[in-house]
Amino acid sequence: MTDIAKDAKVAVPAGAAGSERQVETIPVFRRTMDQVKNRVIELLCLLFFVSTLLFFLLRLTGDPAAVLAGETGDQEQLALIRRQYGLDQPLWYQYFVFLFKAIQFDFGNSLANAQSAIGLVFERLPTSFTLVGIAFTANLLISIPAGAWLGSRPDRTGRKLAATAVFVMQGIPGYIVGLLLIQVFAVELRWLPSIGNQGPLSWIMPATTVASFQAPHVLRVISANVAEAMREDYIRTARANGASFSVLLWRHALKNAMLGATALIGAQVSFLLGGSIITEVIFAWPGLGRLMVTSVQTLDFPVVQAAVFVIAIFVYTAIMLTDVVFIMIDPRLRRQRA
Amino acid sequence: MTAIQEAAATGRSVATADTILAVKDVVVEFPRPRQNVGFRAVNGVTFNLNRGETLGLVGESGSGKSMTALSLLGIVPAPGKIVEGSISLRGRRIDNLGLKEMRTIRGKDIGMVFQDPMTGLNPVRSVGAQLTESVMRHQNVTRAEAEEIAFRALDQVSIPSPRDRLKAFPHELSGGLRQRVMISLALINHPEVIIADEATTALDATIQAQILDLFRLRLTKATMIIITHDMGVAAEICDRIAVMYAGRIVETGTIAEVLSNPRHPYTVGLLAAVPRFDIRRPKLVPIPGVPPTAEDIIRGCAFKSRCKFAQAKCDERPPLTHLGGRLASCWFPRGA
Repeated sequence: MTDIAKDAKVAVPAGAAGSERQVETIPVFRRTMDQVKNRVIELLCLLFFVSTLLFFLLRLTGDPAAVLAGETGDQEQLALIRRQYGLDQPLWYQYFVFLFKAIQFDFGNSLANAQSAIGLVFERLPTSFTLVGIAFTANLLISIPAGAWLGSRPDRTGRKLAATAVFVMQGIPGYIVGLLLIQVFAVELRWLPSIGNQGPLSWIMPATTVASFQAPHVLRVISANVAEAMREDYIRTARANGASFSVLLWRHALKNAMLGATALIGAQVSFLLGGSIITEVIFAWPGLGRLMVTSVQTLDFPVVQAAVFVIAIFVYTAIMLTDVVFIMIDPRLRRQRA
Repeated sequence: MTAIQEAAATGRSVATADTILAVKDVVVEFPRPRQNVGFRAVNGVTFNLNRGETLGLVGESGSGKSMTALSLLGIVPAPGKIVEGSISLRGRRIDNLGLKEMRTIRGKDIGMVFQDPMTGLNPVRSVGAQLTESVMRHQNVTRAEAEEIAFRALDQVSIPSPRDRLKAFPHELSGGLRQRVMISLALINHPEVIIADEATTALDATIQAQILDLFRLRLTKATMIIITHDMGVAAEICDRIAVMYAGRIVETGTIAEVLSNPRHPYTVGLLAAVPRFDIRRPKLVPIPGVPPTAEDIIRGCAFKSRCKFAQAKCDERPPLTHLGGRLASCWFPRGA
């Protein structure tokens, strides 16, 4: 047997052990908090720039007073409205008032129905989050296992065909998938409702539509990363130690493959809240996206501002969560910098 | 003279009761695109490994040393595979085992240390996780027991503060420490045979010396195959040596025989290209030309295009024949 001769003295030159690099790994929570601290300052800067941009952009696109007065409004009405909404003040003054109120989440009332703009946005959030949550979960549930499966043996004929199918699917725009789904499941089969939020059954088609254009992308990235990881030396090491194929794939390769895919998934999530506008319009989904479309059409700028503001915060939160996931997966990001 | 002494003395491949690993005429072939003749990375390799013996496989890059080692574990990278020959472990054929049975041998009966410690460990899993995973696969122990075994394994390869190192990730360790982890990973289930594939090549000279010490002093009774292109390393730790060229063993014998009196022109060339401090010589002599690549189809002696002694007869492949206490395959052997 090849038991190590325990008493044999192996000369480890003095200093050899001591000179080994001492790198400390910071616990996940502490590392996350550091990251959040940095990010919060960035978030405040971002919100400042976003609101500034919004304020001036909307002022450039038209005269809000004219919109409020409508087509029949005369000069007197315009002057009255301007005074009422503070539009007669100098622009810089209006800007600072806007900023000061934005900090307190006060974007004024909707021009359309005199409700609080931010209130309208918050009202839509649960509906939007339902779509985001389901689409995101579906996306991961499909793309991670399927990507791992595709990438584990990319040279097999079945996988090659599947990879081509995924490639084609990636090229199909979401609205086409949405319209097809409506045609088949709502019009022909009459299985699923196609309009609005009417409970779980009505979530299926919009979520599938959103996932259908996000999942192929993630799937392809995961598949490529898994294929690459499976060729790495540490896979050979694990194999030489008797690891089964599923251990190699799920325990060794996938975690490494997820490193590259996490950034993409994070970017997709941040896109979802405001970016599923077309899907929301197709399915008459009463979410944030559709609210923005209607508000832009009616030049209801307080609502647009409030919506963009909330979306900016959401995008930033998503990016921050992506960072946290990175920290959890990759120990190298938890390195103590000396 | 016992069979094992005779085998040791002559370098002959005599299978005895003490033979742990018997490799016979193994051919590892990779299909060539649009050709019906595949590339034979290993082309009829035969050797026996006896208990407590250290065999050195030496040769240039691409000579088939690593492929030979991978074939022993049945992990030749696809699309390559063993197409001929047999591999027996303690008399039991293992080259035709099913995947499930083969997995019980990998890491349990045969442990392997790979060349590059920087890439050979999973970067996102802790050292302890990788060690305990292997222990729990092959031994019927609890997680806590496996961790204790992992702790002792790290301690045995002289890793300082092993308890903390279990929690460490590969990037937190230096190259030397990582290679020690790789070695402890190969040894952790007490394999009967240890294969070290260029285990010291990627390390700097002082760390290399430490790792060699580890092999030499801690693993004196181990049955080992050391793969190296470094004749100095082979001389230091091997009992027997097999020189490989283009997928074949061209010369094999005891380390003393082969190094002091090489018979194959390729072995002569290899030794002339190694710097030595014990003898005075004007300069290192490189072997002219390059070894055959996967594209070349070899007829006759594979070394003939680089050999200054080649003659017409070399178009015919020389068999391994007994030459003064060792085997060499050359029509016109050097030395005496």
